[in-house]
Amino acid sequence: MNFQLTEEQQLIEQSARDFAKEYLDPITGQLDHTGEFPEAVVKELANHDFLGLHLPTEVGGAGAGFVSYVAVIESLSRSCAAVASIMNNQAMASYAIQHWGSELQKKQYVQALVKGETIGAFAIYEHGSTPGIGPDALVATKSEGGYVLKGIKAYVRNAGAAQVYVAFAVTDPADPKSLTAFVVAAGVTGLKVEAALPTMGLKGCPVAHVVFDNVAVPDTAVLGAVKSGSDIATRILALASVAEAAQTVGIGQAAVEHAAAYAKQRVQFGKPVATLQAVQTLLAEALTDCYLARLGLRSTAQLVEDGKPFETEAAMVKSFLARLGSKILIDTCQVEGGMGYSETMPLPRLFRDIAGTTLLDAPADFPDYTVAASIA
Amino acid sequence: MSILTTEQQEIKRAAREFVAKHIIPNAAEYDRKGEFHPFLLEAAKESRIFTMAIPKKYGGLGYDALTQALVAEEWGYGCGGMGTTLAAGVLGMDSVLLVGNDEQKQRYFDAIVKGGLSAFALTEPGAGSDAAAVRTTAVRSGDDYVLNGTKCFITNGGYASVYVILAKTDPSKGVKGISAFIVEKGRAGFTVGATDHKLGIRSSNTVELLLKDVHIPAGNLLGKEGDGMKIAMMTLDLGRQLIAALALGIAQRALDECVKYLQKRFPGKMQPGQTLQFKLADMQIQVEAARESLHHTVRLRDSGAPFSKESAMAKALCGDVAMAVTSQAVSLMGSYGYTSVIAKAMRDAKIMQVYEGTNQIQRLVIARAVLSPAPAAGAGQKAA
Repeated sequence: MNFQLTEEQQLIEQSARDFAKEYLDPITGQLDHTGEFPEAVVKELANHDFLGLHLPTEVGGAGAGFVSYVAVIESLSRSCAAVASIMNNQAMASYAIQHWGSELQKKQYVQALVKGETIGAFAIYEHGSTPGIGPDALVATKSEGGYVLKGIKAYVRNAGAAQVYVAFAVTDPADPKSLTAFVVAAGVTGLKVEAALPTMGLKGCPVAHVVFDNVAVPDTAVLGAVKSGSDIATRILALASVAEAAQTVGIGQAAVEHAAAYAKQRVQFGKPVATLQAVQTLLAEALTDCYLARLGLRSTAQLVEDGKPFETEAAMVKSFLARLGSKILIDTCQVEGGMGYSETMPLPRLFRDIAGTTLLDAPADFPDYTVAASIA
Repeated sequence: MSILTTEQQEIKRAAREFVAKHIIPNAAEYDRKGEFHPFLLEAAKESRIFTMAIPKKYGGLGYDALTQALVAEEWGYGCGGMGTTLAAGVLGMDSVLLVGNDEQKQRYFDAIVKGGLSAFALTEPGAGSDAAAVRTTAVRSGDDYVLNGTKCFITNGGYASVYVILAKTDPSKGVKGISAFIVEKGRAGFTVGATDHKLGIRSSNTVELLLKDVHIPAGNLLGKEGDGMKIAMMTLDLGRQLIAALALGIAQRALDECVKYLQKRFPGKMQPGQTLQFKLADMQIQVEAARESLHHTVRLRDSGAPFSKESAMAKALCGDVAMAVTSQAVSLMGSYGYTSVIAKAMRDAKIMQVYEGTNQIQRLVIARAVLSPAPAAGAGQKAA
């Protein structure tokens, strides 16, 4: 196993840092303030080949591997995790369609997603704890030549901005295993995006419930095989949790670096607070968490790239950062004291963004089950 | 839960009603807008709650420390931001309570009894954890002192009618050159500067105070010249108890919301799995331990025993527990938690580890007390 990025991967990582400095740093504060979907920046992501980074060159992608992908997500997150999150959700949609889609679906959507002409969203969660169970579960009822979708998908990221949804519905309300993925255009009759939810962080990456009120879709809207939705969702969510771990580490690293710079110039008790052991310990532990998390997530990304099983490792990474993600910010804010609580400084945004990354998801207990299942 | 007297139980119930009526229905909206809430000052005036620490002989409610902690926990339960306004309004007068002479107490407390708000101003841009680094000066000039300088992060600063302000009377003496003064609103040259916008407690008012050649009568000096730092430290010992109580309230609220959510998610006889049960149990353990620590501390104070170290321990514990329990609650509730009132509790909880002395400063206070030689026959700690 190689623990270092290759020269090519390093170049890609550097290009993402350069991009972040040029396009994200100037807008991050404003984006956090307005929460408006940053359309222009998403176009720039496409122009710089980031939206197709993980996809093959024949569909306009860059053909880079998953290790490069997570390195880019981390690099962008150091400047603006909301944009990294938009890109990650875009990738969940484009990867699913590229991987399981029919030729028609690929032709219709993948290039447009890569070029940023279309925004994608991945609609898996529901108000019930498991998709397919619960009063608002999205149900696909067979009709002639297609399906009628009725129900609500909850907490969909990129909702509203998206032109295409990869939405999961049960074809048999009595059987959660009948989960099936559908590719649904946003403009279709009966699809309504509710008002964006008031999220604490990752502002600019909208989150909303999406209502399907008898949305008619043709048979060709089915992604992959009927009843293969669980497999698709499991794999995409596992990939996403590795990318979200990279997002978490990017935010954490940015916070540690900011707090360290602050500590060097903030003088109390006649010397920079960076010289105090209490401060050094806070910074050292946070930096250690970032370093070890990065090793774990990159190692998992390498498994993905090598085509090996990675679901258990992805769950470990997710569980680890569910425990430590917020702690990194809780501790680094401490270094900046009262200033670290003031929204004139970047740490409050990073605090809200890291919570958004590690906590805005299904309840935090499930990755542990995945890990336990691998040994027990 | 500590054993409470009937009177304490009644006061706690009244505080809970006050919070249910005035705070909980408005908390989310004012947090979103990041705006101060003058209506709450009116409600507080009506209920005389700002006078809860003022002795009865000065027209106050004269609650003991435990009762004050019970009330402040309810405030935190309702909203960390509005709770901060109320708690700061009480602890703003602690310095006068501790060392004020009778005339000063009459004057200062009267302003509060009549519905005014108080504020305590120690922090400066260059004097945060290193409180002794204050640069605001107070120079004696005839029968007056003349104050110059800038204070920052002052809670209630924009709305208070009376302030206690720390300033250097003798720059050559370092810590021993600091003095504490009563400054009334409206003194020429005394103005409110920029308002700070914060991660949490967003509806509480946090401002800069600007002092430019502000004349105050020499009779506004609290204690003696040079007593300022000692007064500030004693004030913080008291303030930490009230802040610990707010933090405890925030933690209890997060726990209750989490229980409500889990009961809804697992209706009837369904039970969450052991993973969730254990996390919930840990939250309960933390909240209960924090409450006992705080109640022990305030009982020490009520009994006349030393409580400085215990105050620091309660503040650090309650603040850390508030942060841990709110984050755990958000995490257990997943997306729902992140977009609900609990996400706000998590933002509010963060300040509980920072203000009234960061929890690192509390640990310095605690470690110093633990490492210093035991006081001769110092039964005070053990007797309690």
